[in-house]
Amino acid sequence: MRYIWQLVKNSFRMQATYRTALLAGLLTNLFFGFLRAAVMLALYQGQTSVNGMSIGTAVSYVAVSQGLIAFLTIFGYFDVMRSVYSGDVAADLIRPASLFTTWMGRDIGRSIVNLIVRGVLLMAIFSFFFDVVLPTSLLQWVWIGFSLLLAWGISFCWRFLVNLASFWTPDATGVGRMAFALSQLMCGFILPLRLLPDWFTHLANFTPFPSMMNSPVEIYLGILNGSQLFSAIFAQVLWLGLLYVVCRVVLAAGIKKLVIQGG
Amino acid sequence: MRRTVILYFKLIGIQIRSQLEYRVSFLMDVVSTFILNFSYFVALALILERFGTVAGWTLGDLAFLAGLAEMGFGLMDLVFSGFDPDGFSQFVRLGKFDQMLLRPVNISLQVFGSRFLVRRLGRFVEGCVIFGIGAGLAHIQWTLGKVLYLPVVLLSIVAGMGALFVVGGTLIFWTVQPVVVVNIVTYGGNELMSYPITIYPRWIQGFFTYVIPLVFLNYLPGLYFLNKPGLLDFPPIFSFAAPFAAALMLFLAFQFWRFGLKHYQSTGT
Repeated sequence: MRYIWQLVKNSFRMQATYRTALLAGLLTNLFFGFLRAAVMLALYQGQTSVNGMSIGTAVSYVAVSQGLIAFLTIFGYFDVMRSVYSGDVAADLIRPASLFTTWMGRDIGRSIVNLIVRGVLLMAIFSFFFDVVLPTSLLQWVWIGFSLLLAWGISFCWRFLVNLASFWTPDATGVGRMAFALSQLMCGFILPLRLLPDWFTHLANFTPFPSMMNSPVEIYLGILNGSQLFSAIFAQVLWLGLLYVVCRVVLAAGIKKLVIQGG
Repeated sequence: MRRTVILYFKLIGIQIRSQLEYRVSFLMDVVSTFILNFSYFVALALILERFGTVAGWTLGDLAFLAGLAEMGFGLMDLVFSGFDPDGFSQFVRLGKFDQMLLRPVNISLQVFGSRFLVRRLGRFVEGCVIFGIGAGLAHIQWTLGKVLYLPVVLLSIVAGMGALFVVGGTLIFWTVQPVVVVNIVTYGGNELMSYPITIYPRWIQGFFTYVIPLVFLNYLPGLYFLNKPGLLDFPPIFSFAAPFAAALMLFLAFQFWRFGLKHYQSTGT
Protein backbone atom coordinates (compact mmCIF):
# COMPACT_ATOMS: atom_id res chain seq x y z
CA MET A 1 0.00 0.00 0.00
CA ARG A 2 2.82 2.39 0.87
CA TYR A 3 4.42 1.42 -2.41
CA ILE A 4 1.33 2.41 -4.40
CA TRP A 5 1.00 5.63 -2.43
CA GLN A 6 4.57 6.53 -3.33
CA LEU A 7 3.95 5.88 -7.03
CA VAL A 8 0.78 7.97 -6.93
CA LYS A 9 2.61 10.82 -5.26
CA ASN A 10 5.46 10.69 -7.77
CA SER A 11 3.22 10.63 -10.82
CA PHE A 12 1.08 13.41 -9.37
CA ARG A 13 4.15 15.60 -8.93
CA MET A 14 5.51 14.73 -12.33
CA GLN A 15 2.27 15.61 -14.09
CA ALA A 16 1.82 18.80 -12.10
CA THR A 17 5.34 19.94 -13.00
CA TYR A 18 4.64 20.25 -16.71
CA ARG A 19 2.44 23.31 -16.44
CA THR A 20 2.73 24.42 -20.06
CA ALA A 21 1.79 20.94 -21.26
CA LEU A 22 -1.24 20.97 -18.97
CA LEU A 23 -2.29 24.39 -20.20
CA ALA A 24 -1.76 23.25 -23.79
CA GLY A 25 -4.00 20.25 -23.26
CA LEU A 26 -6.62 22.37 -21.56
CA LEU A 27 -6.77 24.91 -24.40
CA THR A 28 -6.93 22.24 -27.08
CA ASN A 29 -9.70 20.29 -25.33
CA LEU A 30 -11.56 23.54 -24.79
CA PHE A 31 -11.38 24.66 -28.42
CA PHE A 32 -12.48 21.30 -29.76
CA GLY A 33 -15.26 21.43 -27.18
CA PHE A 34 -16.50 24.69 -28.71
CA LEU A 35 -16.49 23.15 -32.17
CA ARG A 36 -18.35 20.06 -30.99
CA ALA A 37 -20.90 22.14 -29.10
CA ALA A 38 -21.57 24.18 -32.26
CA VAL A 39 -22.13 20.97 -34.25
CA MET A 40 -24.51 19.76 -31.55
CA LEU A 41 -26.52 22.98 -31.69
CA ALA A 42 -26.67 22.76 -35.48
CA LEU A 43 -27.91 19.17 -35.25
CA TYR A 44 -30.76 20.06 -32.88
CA GLN A 45 -31.83 23.11 -34.93
CA GLY A 46 -34.59 24.16 -32.59
CA GLN A 47 -35.73 20.65 -31.63
CA THR A 48 -35.99 20.75 -27.85
CA SER A 49 -35.47 17.11 -26.99
CA VAL A 50 -34.30 14.00 -28.81
CA ASN A 51 -34.55 10.54 -27.24
CA GLY A 52 -34.67 11.92 -23.70
CA MET A 53 -31.84 14.37 -24.22
CA SER A 54 -32.56 18.09 -24.31
CA ILE A 55 -30.39 20.48 -26.29
CA GLY A 56 -28.93 21.96 -23.10
CA THR A 57 -28.09 18.48 -21.83
CA ALA A 58 -26.47 17.59 -25.15
CA VAL A 59 -24.20 20.64 -25.02
CA SER A 60 -23.34 19.79 -21.41
CA TYR A 61 -22.55 16.25 -22.56
CA VAL A 62 -19.92 17.74 -24.87
CA ALA A 63 -18.43 19.78 -22.02
CA VAL A 64 -18.24 16.84 -19.61
CA SER A 65 -16.86 14.39 -22.16
CA GLN A 66 -14.20 16.89 -23.27
CA GLY A 67 -13.31 17.36 -19.61
CA LEU A 68 -12.86 13.61 -19.13
CA ILE A 69 -10.49 13.06 -22.09
CA ALA A 70 -7.30 13.35 -20.05
CA PHE A 71 -8.69 11.78 -16.88
CA LEU A 72 -9.75 8.65 -18.75
CA THR A 73 -6.91 8.85 -21.34
CA ILE A 74 -9.46 8.44 -24.12
CA PHE A 75 -7.09 9.03 -27.03
CA GLY A 76 -4.85 6.13 -26.22
CA TYR A 77 -2.08 4.97 -23.99
CA PHE A 78 1.16 3.35 -25.05
CA ASP A 79 3.35 3.70 -21.94
CA VAL A 80 3.40 0.03 -21.01
CA MET A 81 4.25 -1.17 -24.50
CA ARG A 82 6.96 1.42 -24.79
CA SER A 83 8.57 0.08 -21.61
CA VAL A 84 8.35 -3.45 -22.97
CA TYR A 85 10.13 -2.44 -26.18
CA SER A 86 12.79 -0.37 -24.45
CA GLY A 87 13.47 -3.09 -21.91
CA ASP A 88 12.57 -0.90 -18.93
CA VAL A 89 9.93 -3.46 -18.11
CA ALA A 90 12.71 -5.62 -16.66
CA ALA A 91 13.26 -3.10 -13.87
CA ASP A 92 9.53 -2.95 -13.19
CA LEU A 93 9.30 -6.73 -12.93
CA ILE A 94 11.65 -6.88 -9.97
CA ARG A 95 9.59 -4.36 -8.01
CA PRO A 96 7.69 -5.55 -4.91
CA ALA A 97 4.32 -5.50 -6.70
CA SER A 98 2.86 -6.82 -9.92
CA LEU A 99 3.26 -4.95 -13.18
CA PHE A 100 -0.46 -4.17 -13.10
CA THR A 101 -0.25 -2.50 -9.69
CA THR A 102 2.87 -0.54 -10.57
CA TRP A 103 1.36 0.95 -13.70
CA MET A 104 -1.94 1.58 -11.94
CA GLY A 105 -0.13 3.56 -9.28
CA ARG A 106 1.58 5.64 -11.95
CA ASP A 107 -1.72 6.27 -13.68
CA ILE A 108 -3.65 7.40 -10.59
CA GLY A 109 -1.58 10.47 -9.84
CA ARG A 110 -1.56 11.60 -13.44
CA SER A 111 -5.31 11.12 -13.71
CA ILE A 112 -6.06 13.12 -10.57
CA VAL A 113 -4.11 16.13 -11.84
CA ASN A 114 -5.88 15.85 -15.20
CA LEU A 115 -9.29 15.59 -13.57
CA ILE A 116 -8.70 18.85 -11.76
CA VAL A 117 -6.93 20.91 -14.43
CA ARG A 118 -8.31 19.55 -17.67
CA GLY A 119 -11.66 18.51 -16.14
CA VAL A 120 -12.94 20.89 -13.52
CA LEU A 121 -11.15 23.92 -14.93
CA LEU A 122 -12.34 23.14 -18.45
CA MET A 123 -15.94 22.89 -17.29
CA ALA A 124 -15.62 26.19 -15.45
CA ILE A 125 -14.33 28.04 -18.51
CA PHE A 126 -16.78 26.26 -20.78
CA SER A 127 -19.70 27.48 -18.69
CA PHE A 128 -18.79 31.09 -19.53
CA PHE A 129 -19.65 30.35 -23.17
CA PHE A 130 -22.43 27.78 -22.90
CA ASP A 131 -24.93 26.80 -20.23
CA VAL A 132 -23.54 23.74 -18.49
CA VAL A 133 -25.74 21.56 -16.26
CA LEU A 134 -24.60 21.46 -12.63
CA PRO A 135 -25.94 18.73 -10.33
CA THR A 136 -27.49 20.13 -7.17
CA SER A 137 -28.07 17.23 -4.80
CA LEU A 138 -25.26 15.87 -2.67
CA LEU A 139 -26.41 12.32 -3.28
CA GLN A 140 -26.02 12.77 -7.01
CA TRP A 141 -22.47 14.02 -6.52
CA VAL A 142 -21.71 10.88 -4.52
CA TRP A 143 -23.00 8.69 -7.33
CA ILE A 144 -21.03 10.72 -9.87
CA GLY A 145 -17.85 10.28 -7.88
CA PHE A 146 -18.40 6.55 -7.49
CA SER A 147 -19.24 6.10 -11.16
CA LEU A 148 -16.19 8.10 -12.27
CA LEU A 149 -13.98 5.95 -10.08
CA LEU A 150 -15.37 2.79 -11.68
CA ALA A 151 -15.05 4.34 -15.14
CA TRP A 152 -11.43 5.14 -14.45
CA GLY A 153 -10.81 1.54 -13.34
CA ILE A 154 -12.44 0.14 -16.47
CA SER A 155 -10.46 2.54 -18.63
CA PHE A 156 -7.20 1.57 -16.97
CA CYS A 157 -7.85 -2.18 -17.28
CA TRP A 158 -8.78 -1.77 -20.94
CA ARG A 159 -5.68 0.29 -21.70
CA PHE A 160 -3.42 -2.09 -19.81
CA LEU A 161 -4.91 -5.07 -21.62
CA VAL A 162 -4.34 -3.46 -25.02
CA ASN A 163 -0.75 -2.71 -24.06
CA LEU A 164 -0.16 -6.35 -23.13
CA ALA A 165 -0.29 -7.12 -26.86
CA SER A 166 3.33 -5.96 -26.83
CA PHE A 167 4.28 -9.20 -25.06
CA TRP A 168 3.32 -11.11 -28.17
CA THR A 169 4.16 -8.88 -31.13
CA PRO A 170 7.24 -6.78 -31.90
CA ASP A 171 5.13 -3.71 -32.76
CA ALA A 172 1.76 -3.30 -31.10
CA THR A 173 1.19 0.40 -31.82
CA GLY A 174 -1.05 -0.32 -34.80
CA VAL A 175 -3.16 -2.78 -32.82
CA GLY A 176 -3.33 -0.26 -30.00
CA ARG A 177 -4.45 2.58 -32.22
CA MET A 178 -7.23 0.46 -33.68
CA ALA A 179 -8.35 -0.68 -30.25
CA PHE A 180 -8.48 2.90 -28.98
CA ALA A 181 -10.37 4.03 -32.09
CA LEU A 182 -12.97 1.39 -31.31
CA SER A 183 -13.30 2.38 -27.66
CA GLN A 184 -13.56 6.09 -28.53
CA LEU A 185 -16.54 5.41 -30.75
CA MET A 186 -18.26 2.83 -28.53
CA CYS A 187 -17.86 4.67 -25.21
CA GLY A 188 -19.88 7.62 -26.41
CA PHE A 189 -16.98 10.03 -26.57
CA ILE A 190 -17.30 11.07 -30.22
CA LEU A 191 -21.05 11.48 -29.91
CA PRO A 192 -23.49 10.61 -27.10
CA LEU A 193 -24.67 7.00 -27.47
CA ARG A 194 -28.24 8.04 -26.76
CA LEU A 195 -28.34 10.11 -29.95
CA LEU A 196 -27.00 7.31 -32.16
CA PRO A 197 -29.37 4.70 -33.68
CA ASP A 198 -30.86 2.19 -31.23
CA TRP A 199 -29.25 -0.81 -32.89
CA PHE A 200 -25.82 0.75 -32.40
CA THR A 201 -26.44 1.57 -28.75
CA HIS A 202 -27.64 -2.01 -28.13
CA LEU A 203 -24.48 -3.30 -29.76
CA ALA A 204 -22.33 -0.99 -27.66
CA ASN A 205 -24.07 -2.18 -24.50
CA PHE A 206 -22.58 -5.63 -25.04
CA THR A 207 -19.13 -4.10 -24.57
CA PRO A 208 -17.49 -2.52 -21.50
CA PHE A 209 -17.09 0.81 -23.32
CA PRO A 210 -20.35 2.60 -22.39
CA SER A 211 -19.41 1.99 -18.74
CA MET A 212 -16.17 3.82 -19.42
CA MET A 213 -17.71 7.17 -20.30
CA ASN A 214 -21.35 7.25 -21.37
CA SER A 215 -22.69 6.04 -18.00
CA PRO A 216 -20.86 8.47 -15.71
CA VAL A 217 -21.64 11.38 -18.03
CA GLU A 218 -25.33 10.49 -18.10
CA ILE A 219 -25.34 10.17 -14.31
CA TYR A 220 -23.75 13.60 -14.10
CA LEU A 221 -26.38 15.06 -16.42
CA GLY A 222 -29.19 13.51 -14.37
CA ILE A 223 -30.51 11.44 -17.28
CA LEU A 224 -30.16 8.20 -15.32
CA ASN A 225 -32.26 7.99 -12.17
CA GLY A 226 -33.53 5.31 -9.80
CA SER A 227 -33.35 1.81 -11.21
CA GLN A 228 -31.59 2.96 -14.39
CA LEU A 229 -28.84 4.48 -12.30
CA PHE A 230 -28.45 1.29 -10.29
CA SER A 231 -28.25 -0.90 -13.34
CA ALA A 232 -25.66 1.42 -14.90
CA ILE A 233 -23.50 1.25 -11.77
CA PHE A 234 -24.04 -2.50 -11.56
CA ALA A 235 -22.85 -2.91 -15.15
CA GLN A 236 -19.78 -0.82 -14.34
CA VAL A 237 -18.90 -3.01 -11.33
CA LEU A 238 -19.40 -6.14 -13.39
CA TRP A 239 -17.21 -4.95 -16.27
CA LEU A 240 -14.50 -3.74 -13.94
CA GLY A 241 -14.37 -7.14 -12.22
CA LEU A 242 -14.33 -9.01 -15.49
CA LEU A 243 -11.67 -6.84 -17.11
CA TYR A 244 -9.51 -7.07 -14.01
CA VAL A 245 -9.58 -10.86 -14.10
CA VAL A 246 -8.80 -10.90 -17.83
CA CYS A 247 -5.87 -8.51 -17.26
CA ARG A 248 -4.46 -10.77 -14.57
CA VAL A 249 -4.78 -13.93 -16.64
CA VAL A 250 -3.29 -12.38 -19.77
CA LEU A 251 -0.48 -10.75 -17.78
CA ALA A 252 0.44 -14.07 -16.17
CA ALA A 253 0.51 -15.76 -19.57
CA GLY A 254 2.48 -12.89 -21.08
CA ILE A 255 5.18 -12.80 -18.43
CA LYS A 256 5.90 -16.49 -18.99
CA LYS A 257 6.46 -15.71 -22.66
CA LEU A 258 8.37 -12.44 -22.33
CA VAL A 259 11.97 -12.42 -23.38
CA ILE A 260 13.91 -9.33 -22.40
CA GLN A 261 16.48 -8.53 -25.00
CA GLY A 262 19.69 -7.30 -23.50
CA GLY A 263 20.34 -3.65 -24.03
CA MET B 1 16.17 23.65 -60.53
CA ARG B 2 16.38 20.16 -61.97
CA ARG B 3 19.08 19.27 -59.50
CA THR B 4 16.86 20.47 -56.66
CA VAL B 5 13.95 18.31 -57.76
CA ILE B 6 16.18 15.25 -58.11
CA LEU B 7 17.68 15.87 -54.72
CA TYR B 8 14.25 16.27 -53.13
CA PHE B 9 13.05 12.96 -54.53
CA LYS B 10 16.24 11.28 -53.43
CA LEU B 11 15.75 12.48 -49.86
CA ILE B 12 12.11 11.39 -49.89
CA GLY B 13 13.08 8.07 -51.42
CA ILE B 14 15.39 7.33 -48.50
CA GLN B 15 12.60 8.16 -46.06
CA ILE B 16 10.10 5.91 -47.83
CA ARG B 17 12.48 2.99 -48.13
CA SER B 18 13.41 3.07 -44.46
CA GLN B 19 9.77 3.20 -43.42
CA LEU B 20 8.81 0.33 -45.71
CA GLU B 21 11.53 -1.82 -44.16
CA TYR B 22 9.13 -3.07 -41.49
CA ARG B 23 6.33 -3.99 -43.83
CA VAL B 24 3.78 -5.38 -41.38
CA SER B 25 4.06 -2.57 -38.89
CA PHE B 26 3.94 -0.05 -41.70
CA LEU B 27 0.72 -1.53 -43.05
CA MET B 28 -0.76 -1.63 -39.55
CA ASP B 29 0.13 2.04 -39.14
CA VAL B 30 -1.59 3.05 -42.36
CA VAL B 31 -4.67 0.96 -41.64
CA SER B 32 -4.97 2.16 -38.04
CA THR B 33 -4.58 5.82 -39.07
CA PHE B 34 -7.36 5.21 -41.58
CA ILE B 35 -9.67 3.58 -39.03
CA LEU B 36 -9.03 6.17 -36.34
CA ASN B 37 -10.06 9.07 -38.54
CA PHE B 38 -12.82 7.15 -40.28
CA SER B 39 -14.55 6.33 -37.01
CA TYR B 40 -15.41 10.03 -36.63
CA PHE B 41 -17.18 9.93 -39.97
CA VAL B 42 -19.01 6.74 -38.97
CA ALA B 43 -20.25 8.50 -35.84
CA LEU B 44 -21.51 11.42 -37.94
CA ALA B 45 -23.32 9.08 -40.33
CA LEU B 46 -24.92 7.29 -37.36
CA ILE B 47 -26.14 10.44 -35.64
CA LEU B 48 -27.64 11.76 -38.88
CA GLU B 49 -29.94 8.73 -38.89
CA ARG B 50 -31.73 10.49 -36.06
CA PHE B 51 -31.27 14.13 -37.01
CA GLY B 52 -31.20 14.13 -40.82
CA THR B 53 -29.04 17.19 -41.40
CA VAL B 54 -26.55 19.56 -39.80
CA ALA B 55 -28.03 23.02 -40.41
CA GLY B 56 -29.59 21.81 -43.66
CA TRP B 57 -26.48 19.97 -44.89
CA THR B 58 -27.13 16.27 -45.60
CA LEU B 59 -24.66 13.46 -45.00
CA GLY B 60 -23.60 13.67 -48.65
CA ASP B 61 -22.92 17.42 -48.48
CA LEU B 62 -21.01 17.07 -45.24
CA ALA B 63 -19.01 14.11 -46.53
CA PHE B 64 -18.06 16.11 -49.61
CA LEU B 65 -16.86 19.01 -47.48
CA ALA B 66 -15.12 16.84 -44.88
CA GLY B 67 -13.60 14.54 -47.49
CA LEU B 68 -12.09 17.46 -49.35
CA ALA B 69 -10.63 18.87 -46.13
CA GLU B 70 -9.27 15.47 -45.09
CA MET B 71 -7.68 14.75 -48.47
CA GLY B 72 -6.02 18.14 -48.41
CA PHE B 73 -4.87 17.82 -44.83
CA GLY B 74 -3.67 14.25 -45.29
CA LEU B 75 -1.61 15.20 -48.32
CA MET B 76 -0.28 18.30 -46.58
CA ASP B 77 0.62 16.24 -43.53
CA LEU B 78 2.67 14.03 -45.79
CA VAL B 79 4.48 16.70 -47.81
CA PHE B 80 5.02 19.15 -44.94
CA SER B 81 5.97 16.50 -42.33
CA GLY B 82 9.37 18.18 -41.98
CA PHE B 83 7.80 21.43 -40.82
CA ASP B 84 5.32 19.72 -38.47
CA PRO B 85 6.03 21.65 -35.24
CA ASP B 86 5.96 18.49 -33.12
CA GLY B 87 8.63 16.81 -35.23
CA PHE B 88 10.62 19.93 -36.01
CA SER B 89 10.85 20.76 -32.33
CA GLN B 90 12.74 17.52 -31.71
CA PHE B 91 14.85 18.19 -34.71
CA VAL B 92 16.02 21.52 -33.32
CA ARG B 93 16.44 20.21 -29.80
CA LEU B 94 18.65 17.32 -30.89
CA GLY B 95 20.85 19.61 -32.95
CA LYS B 96 19.97 17.93 -36.25
CA PHE B 97 18.93 21.27 -37.65
CA ASP B 98 22.44 22.61 -37.01
CA GLN B 99 23.85 19.74 -39.08
CA MET B 100 21.61 20.78 -41.97
CA LEU B 101 22.77 24.36 -41.82
CA LEU B 102 26.31 23.16 -42.47
CA ARG B 103 25.41 21.49 -45.74
CA PRO B 104 25.68 23.44 -48.99
CA VAL B 105 22.07 22.83 -49.98
CA ASN B 106 19.01 25.05 -49.65
CA ILE B 107 17.77 24.72 -46.09
CA SER B 108 14.04 24.68 -46.87
CA LEU B 109 14.57 21.86 -49.32
CA GLN B 110 16.40 19.88 -46.64
CA VAL B 111 13.60 20.40 -44.16
CA PHE B 112 11.07 19.25 -46.76
CA GLY B 113 13.15 16.16 -47.35
CA SER B 114 13.92 15.47 -43.71
CA ARG B 115 10.67 13.78 -42.85
CA PHE B 116 8.06 12.11 -44.98
CA LEU B 117 5.68 10.07 -42.88
CA VAL B 118 4.20 7.60 -45.30
CA ARG B 119 1.72 6.28 -42.75
CA ARG B 120 -0.11 9.56 -43.09
CA LEU B 121 -1.20 8.18 -46.42
CA GLY B 122 -3.88 6.52 -44.30
CA ARG B 123 -5.47 9.86 -43.67
CA PHE B 124 -5.36 10.83 -47.33
CA VAL B 125 -6.93 7.54 -48.39
CA GLU B 126 -9.59 8.01 -45.74
CA GLY B 127 -10.29 11.49 -47.12
CA CYS B 128 -10.63 10.02 -50.62
CA VAL B 129 -13.14 7.43 -49.41
CA ILE B 130 -15.23 10.02 -47.57
CA PHE B 131 -15.02 12.37 -50.56
CA GLY B 132 -16.16 9.57 -52.85
CA ILE B 133 -19.11 8.80 -50.61
CA GLY B 134 -19.97 12.49 -50.48
CA ALA B 135 -19.71 13.08 -54.20
CA GLY B 136 -21.96 10.06 -54.77
CA LEU B 137 -24.61 10.90 -52.15
CA ALA B 138 -24.72 14.62 -52.90
CA HIS B 139 -25.38 14.01 -56.62
CA ILE B 140 -22.92 16.65 -57.73
CA GLN B 141 -23.74 18.01 -61.17
CA TRP B 142 -20.28 17.84 -62.62
CA THR B 143 -19.39 20.51 -65.15
CA LEU B 144 -16.07 21.10 -66.87
CA GLY B 145 -15.46 24.02 -64.55
CA LYS B 146 -15.95 21.87 -61.45
CA VAL B 147 -13.71 19.10 -62.76
CA LEU B 148 -10.95 21.58 -63.49
CA TYR B 149 -11.35 23.51 -60.25
CA LEU B 150 -11.32 20.45 -57.96
CA PRO B 151 -7.55 19.78 -58.11
CA VAL B 152 -6.93 23.52 -57.69
CA VAL B 153 -8.95 23.53 -54.47
CA LEU B 154 -7.17 20.41 -53.24
CA LEU B 155 -3.75 21.94 -53.84
CA SER B 156 -4.91 25.17 -52.22
CA ILE B 157 -5.82 23.31 -49.04
CA VAL B 158 -2.41 21.57 -49.11
CA ALA B 159 -0.62 24.90 -49.55
CA GLY B 160 -2.76 26.88 -47.09
CA MET B 161 -2.58 24.31 -44.32
CA GLY B 162 1.09 23.74 -45.12
CA ALA B 163 1.64 27.46 -44.55
CA LEU B 164 0.33 27.00 -41.01
CA PHE B 165 2.81 24.16 -40.46
CA VAL B 166 5.64 26.39 -41.73
CA VAL B 167 4.61 29.18 -39.35
CA GLY B 168 4.38 26.66 -36.49
CA GLY B 169 7.80 25.29 -37.40
CA THR B 170 9.32 28.77 -37.55
CA LEU B 171 8.06 29.60 -34.08
CA ILE B 172 10.18 26.68 -32.85
CA PHE B 173 13.28 28.85 -33.52
CA TRP B 174 12.28 30.99 -30.55
CA THR B 175 10.24 28.66 -28.36
CA VAL B 176 11.97 25.30 -29.04
CA GLN B 177 8.78 23.66 -27.70
CA PRO B 178 5.79 23.42 -30.05
CA VAL B 179 3.29 26.25 -29.52
CA VAL B 180 -0.17 24.98 -28.63
CA VAL B 181 -2.10 27.67 -30.44
CA VAL B 182 -0.58 26.41 -33.68
CA ASN B 183 -1.98 22.92 -33.08
CA ILE B 184 -5.38 24.42 -32.38
CA VAL B 185 -5.24 26.29 -35.68
CA THR B 186 -3.99 23.31 -37.73
CA TYR B 187 -5.79 20.28 -36.31
CA GLY B 188 -8.65 22.40 -35.01
CA GLY B 189 -8.80 24.19 -38.36
CA ASN B 190 -9.09 20.89 -40.17
CA GLU B 191 -11.91 19.81 -37.84
CA LEU B 192 -13.59 23.19 -38.37
CA MET B 193 -13.38 22.86 -42.15
CA SER B 194 -15.29 19.58 -42.00
CA TYR B 195 -18.55 21.45 -41.30
CA PRO B 196 -20.18 24.53 -42.83
CA ILE B 197 -18.54 27.45 -41.08
CA THR B 198 -21.86 29.19 -40.47
CA ILE B 199 -22.66 26.82 -37.57
CA TYR B 200 -19.85 28.24 -35.43
CA PRO B 201 -20.00 31.23 -33.09
CA ARG B 202 -19.34 34.63 -34.71
CA TRP B 203 -15.87 35.10 -33.22
CA ILE B 204 -14.67 31.74 -34.54
CA GLN B 205 -16.06 32.56 -38.00
CA GLY B 206 -14.37 35.96 -37.96
CA PHE B 207 -11.05 34.52 -36.89
CA PHE B 208 -11.01 31.89 -39.64
CA THR B 209 -12.06 34.44 -42.25
CA TYR B 210 -9.93 37.48 -41.58
CA VAL B 211 -6.97 36.26 -39.48
CA ILE B 212 -6.47 32.78 -40.89
CA PRO B 213 -8.59 32.63 -44.02
CA LEU B 214 -9.50 28.93 -44.01
CA VAL B 215 -13.05 29.73 -45.08
CA PHE B 216 -11.78 30.47 -48.60
CA LEU B 217 -10.06 27.09 -48.88
CA ASN B 218 -12.97 24.77 -48.28
CA TYR B 219 -16.36 26.21 -47.34
CA LEU B 220 -16.71 28.80 -50.11
CA PRO B 221 -15.42 26.49 -52.88
CA GLY B 222 -17.71 23.79 -51.43
CA LEU B 223 -20.73 26.00 -52.07
CA TYR B 224 -19.81 26.12 -55.75
CA PHE B 225 -19.47 22.34 -56.07
CA LEU B 226 -22.69 21.65 -54.18
CA ASN B 227 -24.65 24.49 -55.83
CA LYS B 228 -25.54 25.91 -52.43
CA PRO B 229 -26.33 29.53 -51.64
CA GLY B 230 -23.90 31.04 -49.15
CA LEU B 231 -24.96 32.46 -45.83
CA LEU B 232 -21.91 34.68 -45.45
CA ASP B 233 -21.59 38.17 -46.91
CA PHE B 234 -19.42 36.95 -49.78
CA PRO B 235 -20.73 37.00 -53.36
CA PRO B 236 -20.47 33.64 -55.24
CA ILE B 237 -17.31 34.74 -57.06
CA PHE B 238 -15.41 34.25 -53.80
CA SER B 239 -15.79 30.50 -54.30
CA PHE B 240 -12.85 30.88 -56.64
CA ALA B 241 -10.61 32.69 -54.18
CA ALA B 242 -9.03 29.49 -52.84
CA PRO B 243 -5.77 29.57 -54.85
CA PHE B 244 -5.24 33.27 -54.08
CA ALA B 245 -5.81 32.84 -50.37
CA ALA B 246 -3.52 29.81 -50.33
CA ALA B 247 -0.77 31.51 -52.31
CA LEU B 248 -0.87 34.51 -50.01
CA MET B 249 -0.72 32.30 -46.93
CA LEU B 250 2.20 30.27 -48.24
CA PHE B 251 4.07 33.39 -49.35
CA LEU B 252 3.72 35.07 -45.95
CA ALA B 253 4.62 31.85 -44.17
CA PHE B 254 7.89 31.51 -46.06
CA GLN B 255 8.69 35.19 -45.51
CA PHE B 256 8.30 34.49 -41.80
CA TRP B 257 10.41 31.34 -42.14
CA ARG B 258 13.22 33.34 -43.76
CA PHE B 259 12.99 35.95 -41.02
CA GLY B 260 13.12 33.20 -38.40
CA LEU B 261 16.17 31.59 -39.99
CA LYS B 262 18.11 34.84 -39.62
CA HIS B 263 17.33 34.90 -35.93
CA TYR B 264 17.96 31.25 -35.27
CA GLN B 265 20.23 30.42 -32.37
CA SER B 266 21.18 26.83 -31.76
CA THR B 267 20.11 25.13 -28.55
CA GLY B 268 23.72 24.07 -28.13
CA THR B 269 23.18 20.33 -28.44
